[in-house]
Amino acid sequence: MTKQIELSGVNKYYGAYHALKNIDLSIEKGSFVALVGPSGCGKSTLLRSLAGLESISTGDLKIAGELMNKVPPRKRDIAMVFQSYALYPHMTVEQNLTYSLRIRRVAKAEAKKAAEEVAATTGLSHLLGRYPRELSGGQRQRVAMSRAIIRHPKAFLFDEPLSNLDAALRVHMRKEIRTLHDRLHATSVYVTHDQIEAMTMADHVVVMKDGVIEQQGAPLELYDRPANRFVAGFIGSPAMNFVPATVGEDGRSLAVDIGEKQTIPLDRQLQPGRKVTAGLRPEHLHFVEPGQGVFRLPVGIVETTGSATYITTSTATEVTVVDTTRRPVRAGDVIDVSIRPADVHIFDAETGLRV
Amino acid sequence: MPHSPSSGPTGHLLPAGERLNRMADAPSSISSRKGLSSAQAPGSPVRDVGGPVTRLLSSVRDGRGFDIVLVAFPLGFLFLMAGLPLLYNVLMSFQEVDMFSLGTLMRPFVGLKNYRDLFAQPETLPILANTAIFVVGSIAGQFLIGFGLALFFWVNFPGAAWLRGLFLVSWVMPGLVVGAIWNWILSGDFGVLNFILREGGIISANIFWRSDPNYSLYAVILANIWLGTAFNMILLSVGLAGIPADLYEAAELDGANAWQRFWTITLPMMRSTIGAIIALGLIFTLQQFDLFAAITSGGPNNSSNVTQYWAWEQSFRQYDFAKGATISVLMIVFVMIASVVYVRSTRHEVRG
Repeated sequence: MTKQIELSGVNKYYGAYHALKNIDLSIEKGSFVALVGPSGCGKSTLLRSLAGLESISTGDLKIAGELMNKVPPRKRDIAMVFQSYALYPHMTVEQNLTYSLRIRRVAKAEAKKAAEEVAATTGLSHLLGRYPRELSGGQRQRVAMSRAIIRHPKAFLFDEPLSNLDAALRVHMRKEIRTLHDRLHATSVYVTHDQIEAMTMADHVVVMKDGVIEQQGAPLELYDRPANRFVAGFIGSPAMNFVPATVGEDGRSLAVDIGEKQTIPLDRQLQPGRKVTAGLRPEHLHFVEPGQGVFRLPVGIVETTGSATYITTSTATEVTVVDTTRRPVRAGDVIDVSIRPADVHIFDAETGLRV
Repeated sequence: MPHSPSSGPTGHLLPAGERLNRMADAPSSISSRKGLSSAQAPGSPVRDVGGPVTRLLSSVRDGRGFDIVLVAFPLGFLFLMAGLPLLYNVLMSFQEVDMFSLGTLMRPFVGLKNYRDLFAQPETLPILANTAIFVVGSIAGQFLIGFGLALFFWVNFPGAAWLRGLFLVSWVMPGLVVGAIWNWILSGDFGVLNFILREGGIISANIFWRSDPNYSLYAVILANIWLGTAFNMILLSVGLAGIPADLYEAAELDGANAWQRFWTITLPMMRSTIGAIIALGLIFTLQQFDLFAAITSGGPNNSSNVTQYWAWEQSFRQYDFAKGATISVLMIVFVMIASVVYVRSTRHEVRG
């Protein structure tokens, strides 16, 4: 596997503000990488640094093996899909698509042919003569993507491209972008704040917070083995339950404090008496017969979606349980739930790191 | 708001909740008032309670009548203060006017005689040519320098906004004051312009800007460019600020260098602004009177005379009011054309 984009020790300062902190990241050719994190985490800054729209303060950025630190955006051969689409409003769809070709003085007939080919694959053929203002949100989105595709760039950068679309269209475009990627095998970097988008679309997810890469890896790796509390809480929906806990005297059980102390077994040996945080995914808490479970929990709020029921307990530390069996539960009931020891995530109470 | 719950027949017939809804739905206070007044439209379930006078009063207070009053005031003002004099001017250009008939409206009708006489005069064509040179020279200078400055301040270096504001001082100054200042600058013997040109080795002998027929018109153009550049710069700055930054980023990633971005993004996106500013410039330039009065008085020997100054001269110096009116009618035609261009260019705004 060749590396298409390599960042080593990249830092970015805005005056005294440290926006990117020692970023090391390598992106393999043809892979789809998602940068995900809450707003202000530096993911957009990182993407714009790849494009050259922001300069990096220290460190090295290589694209296709070439050092790009000082190379202006127009010479990086990278295409970007903007959150606002940034379509040229005074140009028709066809002129928008062929802009980069016309800048490079490609022959008119050739540019027109290229535009028609790309438009055919993205379903824009009948819209080539329209102006951006005459298009719907989804169509503008497609024009923005087609404008990137037509260039056959070294990499595609997506800056929250779906955030201006409504929910249904977003799900649809998510699949379309992924299908497109599978067809073109182009290296793609996709910035989003939506962990579902990141999990469903990417081969490799990079979780960022405060300018630091918290963890990176395959989507399921992040879900199964989150490196710290932040990643654990960020990946997965509904979010993971965190409850304070203490390792038991034998080192093989955990006293969990959900308003009242309850003890759950462990599948590994830990230092007795150690303060930790237990992470319990709502979907891993399953119902058992009364008396068989490890938790007895009073029910606070019940939210039904049809496919799943979200049950929030009325304990001091709220715990969410997801049930897909349509068990009749009402507020005020007491439920018995259990969890497999392997599904219990344990984080250090002080550092938040995975134990 | 003029309608309290018991204020009139319109008010209390709509349930209070309904009225609130209408107000909440309306995007602005003006349309909210419309929403209420539309309840009076035929077919809507509002009973007619009061007599015709009450209805009229309530309509003026809170309905279509109010709209009409709002529009009628400025329209009436415009008609009285601009429309009537304009029509009177056109009328005068077809009449024989002298000092004795000045006070009457119905004077001998002479058809196109005034126009024929005007074009028979030897100074007419040179003055029209002067006007064309003045308009084209002023607009070209104001626009190019204004655009240059707008682009310069767009770079947004520290203090740019502050410095740009200072430039507006020239636009705020009265034409007569600007004329007086330029009289000093342009002065043949001690003027600073001559000093700079001489020290720069561009001229060897002083140029008498205001009294040399070869230079007098350009002296006024120079002052007018200085006067109008700031206005051009501000309008063009606004136009530049209206172009979204991500368009430039997209173009940059598409491979366009700064020059290509200017030609393919900036200029086309500025089209409507540029159209508007050139049309406005045409109007302002044809209005420019003070500078001529202050700097050259149209002389020497009409070498710097232009139609707007000449019309005044004919009417109020020579007391040939018919001739002055005739020249003014010619100008009205030009300004009308400019106005149409201006209105059309603001209508074709390109904003995605």
